[in-house]
Amino acid sequence: MSLTTSAPAAASSGLKKILGHLLWAVVALAAAFCLGAIALNRGEHINSTWLVLAAACTYALGFRFYAKFIAARVMSLNNQRATPAERLENGHDFEPTNKWILFGHHFAAIAGPGPLVGPVLAAQFGYLPGTLWIIVGAVLGGAVQDFVILFASMRRDGKSLGQMAREEIGKLGGFVALLTVLLIMIILLAVVALVVVNALAGSPWGAFTIAVTMPIAVFMGLYLRYWRPGRVLECSAIGFLLVIAAIFGGQWVAQSAAWAPVFTLSALALAFAIIVYGFLASALPVWLLLAPRDYLSTFVKLGVIFLLAVGIIFVRPELELPAFTRFTDGNGPIFAGKIFPFCFITIACGAISGFHALISSGTTPKMIAKEWHAWPVGYGSMLLESFVAVMAMIAACVMHPGVYFAVNSPAGIVGATPAAAVATISSWGFPVSVAEMQSLARAVGEQTLFHRTGGAPSLALGMAHIFARSGGGQGLIGFWYHFAIMFEALFILTIIDAGTRVGRFMLQDLLGHVHPALGRTSWMPGVLATSSAVVLAWGYFLYQGVRDPLGGINSLWPLFGIANQLLATIALCVATTILIKMYRARYIWITGLPLVWLVTVTFAASWQKIFSPVPRIGFLAQADQLEAALRSGTVATANIAPTQTLIFNARLDAVICAVFLVLVGVILIDSVRVWTGILRGTRTSQVAEAPFVLSHLAAEEV
Amino acid sequence: MTRLRALGRFILALLRELADENAYHRHLAAHGCAHSGEEWRKFSEQRLRARYQRAKCC
Repeated sequence: MSLTTSAPAAASSGLKKILGHLLWAVVALAAAFCLGAIALNRGEHINSTWLVLAAACTYALGFRFYAKFIAARVMSLNNQRATPAERLENGHDFEPTNKWILFGHHFAAIAGPGPLVGPVLAAQFGYLPGTLWIIVGAVLGGAVQDFVILFASMRRDGKSLGQMAREEIGKLGGFVALLTVLLIMIILLAVVALVVVNALAGSPWGAFTIAVTMPIAVFMGLYLRYWRPGRVLECSAIGFLLVIAAIFGGQWVAQSAAWAPVFTLSALALAFAIIVYGFLASALPVWLLLAPRDYLSTFVKLGVIFLLAVGIIFVRPELELPAFTRFTDGNGPIFAGKIFPFCFITIACGAISGFHALISSGTTPKMIAKEWHAWPVGYGSMLLESFVAVMAMIAACVMHPGVYFAVNSPAGIVGATPAAAVATISSWGFPVSVAEMQSLARAVGEQTLFHRTGGAPSLALGMAHIFARSGGGQGLIGFWYHFAIMFEALFILTIIDAGTRVGRFMLQDLLGHVHPALGRTSWMPGVLATSSAVVLAWGYFLYQGVRDPLGGINSLWPLFGIANQLLATIALCVATTILIKMYRARYIWITGLPLVWLVTVTFAASWQKIFSPVPRIGFLAQADQLEAALRSGTVATANIAPTQTLIFNARLDAVICAVFLVLVGVILIDSVRVWTGILRGTRTSQVAEAPFVLSHLAAEEV
Repeated sequence: MTRLRALGRFILALLRELADENAYHRHLAAHGCAHSGEEWRKFSEQRLRARYQRAKCC
């Protein structure tokens, strides 16, 4: 009887299997075809759909086969094993959560400005190098790092990356990880603040809109705390409507003869305003300004990313930038250096980002209900983040190349006047005219779009172009441009205020070992002193970027990229150590290959940034060139002091780069010592996993 | 229609999670107390203190 009933069932199951294999074969062919099309296309404009399809199909394959292989064979995920969320459930941090909700939560936490800005800057090489790195880097590197660190933290009761480095590698490793994160925070805050400054300088519309978001955030804070406690969604909806009103208000301000000059701020004035804001946000109660802005920023971020995806799929714009530009030779106006290694450090967050390891070992491992949920949450979220980076690349490449370079090139490279800038850019083979730039600036309600370095204005232009074509027409392009600027500035400012506060806590943590009172977060003199120290540290680099004649991005963004990738190196060292300790040495290529690649890229980039004889690349060469100019007497008297400051800054950047290298070199050597010890049998292989406890949580409960 | 409703429910649940509203309800349930301004402030302070001690992603 059972034979007669099971035969059709078996046939049906076999058919399903064949259909499944066929489907994946089609996806694989589509991925290969689309990647081939974007890689081999030369001389013709390519439609963005090719990039979207190439990314989507490669992600699908990576998720279904590579990530599942890692989950099943390497990490042996086991749904019978109770996760920390189940064992330690406390209604606060530890809470079994639905996997798709956690996916959204984790994605919202890892999605920052990095995947948006990095690809826009790297587009100076053309669309191809950055796009391939984003797709391949995410599938083989970034998503693997996030997934393995999430798994490791989940098996260790949600421990942080620093704690795992200390336990698995050694005390030195833990200390180095903490110090590296603190240094990276400082560079990160400076560079993202510079992006905002460059986006808002000389823009009364943008400056007004962002200024108004501060009283809106305070209003939201009071609303949530006293008037309608707990109504975060309601409050955020009101905040969002007020921000939209502020964008329209900004248009009125920009057109007002009385108010426009008040909100037309220089880069230096904006830098000081942001420094003061960072200090206030770090020292003020968190509920008043930081938290309400953070809630609003999260919703706006997710909404805009969704809108951009829909817009790109709906409009299917053509890419105007070629596959490769002439700047693959290393003489790019936005930042100097060849594709290797600079493309791979300019795009960090969209391909692989060390910062994600901090999130994967933060809140998320404490909320995973079942071990297999780490597969979509850890690996899948990074793929979505990578897709955001592909969309940013598309948004940058839909502009005419001449316009792209006119917006992103600093005055020090292309010339200070519009006529000089268009002449230089046109001579590169990217024709653009002053009239075209003026017409575009008028359309988006700006006085000028020349020299708007940092990536945010050109990303906003690309997004506005896509949004305007999706609905509303060109008449609304000014609104969409400022909506995009507001969106970028809003969550960058959230990173600045939250980052300053986190930096303060880290510094207090470190100083508490020297003087216990400094470690107390309730001791006001300690709070003020450490807040000031953190703000002054990133504020100095911001000031340096604003005063830099090459635009600041040329020196600060590579420094940030190197720092972020070095953090990923630390995370991959921890991950590799854990795999070896789990007797999975035959699989260490999974984390080992991205580790070797990152070490090669970051050490090569750091070496070039310090020692390259080309002044636009090497910090020391830049300092030497300026010093030679001072000695030869060709520097005007008024410029002697600023030139001396530039020399000091270049040498400081070289020292920072060297410090990063030494810190990561230390953790790398320490890790290799542990690995060889285990593999030779001279060291015990003891994993610090929490013991197995049988899960009683039914899948349907979450 | 059922799938659309399910999608709507999922989006709302995600937004509530991101807004800490779900976490607040869990907090009320875990401590057996009713919603009040004071309780929200207590919960919010604990939640935000923990959140802003961790680095935010770039």
